[in-house]
Amino acid sequence: MELMKSSDNIIQDRTQQQHKQEPEMQAQEGQQEQGHHFHVLAVDDSVIDRKLLEKLLKVSSYQVTCVDSGDKALEYLGLLNNLDSDSTASSSSSSSSSSNSSSCSQSSQREGLKVNLIMTDFCMPGMSGYDLLKRLKGSSWKDVPVVVMSSENVPSRISIRCLEGGAEEFMLKPLQLSDLEKIEAYLLKSLHLSCTNIDKDDDDNNADHNSDNNNDKVVNNDSNIDKGNNSTSMNNNFSKRKALSSEDTESRRPKIKGLAVAI
Amino acid sequence: MDRNRLHNQVASMRRSLFDQLEELQDDTNPNFVQEVVTLFYNDSTRLIQNIEQALNSRPIDFCKLDDYMHQFKGSSSSIGAKKVTNECTAFREYCNAENAEGCIRSFQQVKQEHAILKRKLEVYLQTVRQASQTA
Repeated sequence: MELMKSSDNIIQDRTQQQHKQEPEMQAQEGQQEQGHHFHVLAVDDSVIDRKLLEKLLKVSSYQVTCVDSGDKALEYLGLLNNLDSDSTASSSSSSSSSSNSSSCSQSSQREGLKVNLIMTDFCMPGMSGYDLLKRLKGSSWKDVPVVVMSSENVPSRISIRCLEGGAEEFMLKPLQLSDLEKIEAYLLKSLHLSCTNIDKDDDDNNADHNSDNNNDKVVNNDSNIDKGNNSTSMNNNFSKRKALSSEDTESRRPKIKGLAVAI
Repeated sequence: MDRNRLHNQVASMRRSLFDQLEELQDDTNPNFVQEVVTLFYNDSTRLIQNIEQALNSRPIDFCKLDDYMHQFKGSSSSIGAKKVTNECTAFREYCNAENAEGCIRSFQQVKQEHAILKRKLEVYLQTVRQASQTA
């Protein structure tokens, strides 16, 4: 059957499922401690990818809002209210982005809207994921971590461009549950930054969890590098997921804030 | 007895077709895989028609073709349809080279793999329906 991966892979998937449960429980503990769920805004023009992403995030106990374009994302975040040219602006100039942040600071926090993470597809008609990223980083939502996703191997200059534009991570689609472990680290970090009334103890707990997760991730990244770019290798899901050249990984490493300390 | 057999059949089909989707299905949304399959089914049929039309028009708009194929490839890749995805990659190479004949030939391959996949999905959905009817 064309869709069937090797039985090795199925076993790998099951093993990874066990691995994922631990951080998942930590995430759930984190949420229970804080008394709320992480809210992720997912932006993707593909209806199937939205559905899959929504499911992935919900399975991981996150609250999810899906929109099908960058414009809808900005609208949701209240960033389109005070702009004249909203949907047609593909890349914001520095002058308009500064006026964005000043005029939108009131409307962006509408009704206590809370978004802990934004995940956006890179290749979308109209406003691309990169354009959306730049708009977000020039707005009052600039502290919300942004993850950019792409359905295919993009040249490293593009993924680097996104990382330099402020994205936390550039991920290859289709995402898997194992990819969500990385996202958890960004969510915990954003929580730490945004909540001013976090108990000191909670902070320490999260930091411990983070360092545990980071150690796991360092190991995983190393195995990614070893396996290299071999997309036909079905022995390790990680290598298929990431499909990075070592050049990519080298330039990416310093940008991944959570890992920088561990490495 | 019948019900159990059908349910087991559905479960094993799901496992063999969709590694990842199987993991995601749970009690809160028992129809998840079915929904995704149906979505893909409709979405891919639509895209195939669009591509067909674009290939038949003269002059061929390679930009539009690539756009459709990008969407199609993305969906196929997301549900794990490797053969379809690979044929899409081949197609896009011809498209980038603006090789009309290559595109047309390659598209035949895409349609073939997609037809095989559709058949499997149809059988899966049929089995799911049967299983739910005996519930």
